[in-house]
Amino acid sequence: MKLRLWPGKTKERRATILAGLILLQALCALFFIGDVIEDFRENGHLDNPHLLLETVAAAALIAGVVFLMIELRGLLSRMSDMQIGLEIAHGHLAEVIESFFDEWNLTIAERDVAIMILKGLDNDTIAQVRNTASGTVRAQATNIYSKSATDGRAQFISVFVEELMAGDISSGNGAGPASMSQSTKKPAEKDRPAL
Amino acid sequence: MFIVTRQYSGRESAREIAVWDPLVRLIHWSLALTILLNGAFLDAESKSHEWVGYIALALVGLRLVWALIGPKHARFSAFPPNPVRAINHIRSMFEGDRTIFISHNPIGAMMVYNIWLSVIAIGVTGYMMTTISFFGVEWVEEAHEVIFGWLIFSVMLHVAGVLFDTWRTGVNLVRAMVNGRKNIPEWHDVI
Repeated sequence: MKLRLWPGKTKERRATILAGLILLQALCALFFIGDVIEDFRENGHLDNPHLLLETVAAAALIAGVVFLMIELRGLLSRMSDMQIGLEIAHGHLAEVIESFFDEWNLTIAERDVAIMILKGLDNDTIAQVRNTASGTVRAQATNIYSKSATDGRAQFISVFVEELMAGDISSGNGAGPASMSQSTKKPAEKDRPAL
Repeated sequence: MFIVTRQYSGRESAREIAVWDPLVRLIHWSLALTILLNGAFLDAESKSHEWVGYIALALVGLRLVWALIGPKHARFSAFPPNPVRAINHIRSMFEGDRTIFISHNPIGAMMVYNIWLSVIAIGVTGYMMTTISFFGVEWVEEAHEVIFGWLIFSVMLHVAGVLFDTWRTGVNLVRAMVNGRKNIPEWHDVI
């Protein structure tokens, strides 16, 4: 349960840092622009080197701000693409799990237990969460394994993992993001004999 | 049982949508801070008052650029300045329409433009007071103060509107401006 398909966290931090830098740099640009305007108001000429340098610095800072903004927009749109991909994957996994449960005719209580088994809870914890005796949970788990024709927890979980690894997740939907179709291409490249 | 139901209800009855990017949020709270500083704490004659004012101007300028090149919820096109839409929104609100707008709702959008324009006007008149040709000119000083009064009134309306809309739609807007996500209850239509 601790291992999460959630690479967005570090990207989110990056986006926040980038936004902070944009703000800071914009304020630095403001300082230089203010200085340039003030100097210009005092002597009214752009020919002295100090003022020229300040103007260049201000222009460079502004260009930097705009560049960082474009970078940030790119990062944000990559993040939202990834989010869409994850949601599709989540949706598919839930569908897959549901369809297996239907196929095995699990009762409502058994479905609950089965989901908790998939989430990695042991029988005692499941009994605690469901407020039943651990013997009941053990019986339900045994039912689940026999209905699914598996010989225990590990094999039961591997049914779903196998389903995820074997299928081309994005192809059924046609709306799969680019990252997914790339990941399905990669193994094919690996299969090519090394010359 | 409760772990499962919580997970399930979390996914089925509500959706989290990332709306406000970090730059929008930073600019929002920084602008609020500059208004608070200049309105309540800094001496109006002081140099720091001037600088905080320029920072507020820069923040609005940055936000305007971001509204041109930023992500879609931050753009002008997500909340066009359209009074007709705002009036229609108020009307449908009274008719019990609970449609949720991902970006600003039409009346909120009008408030956004109002606050930005007010800050710009205050900044410009404030700058004019430092120039030789407008120094001590009465109407400039008066405009600076009157528009500031209008800004404070607008900010209060803004806060009231946020609280009202949070109560009306069930989307916690303050939280959305802090962590960027709107938690949308499922029964709502979303635009």
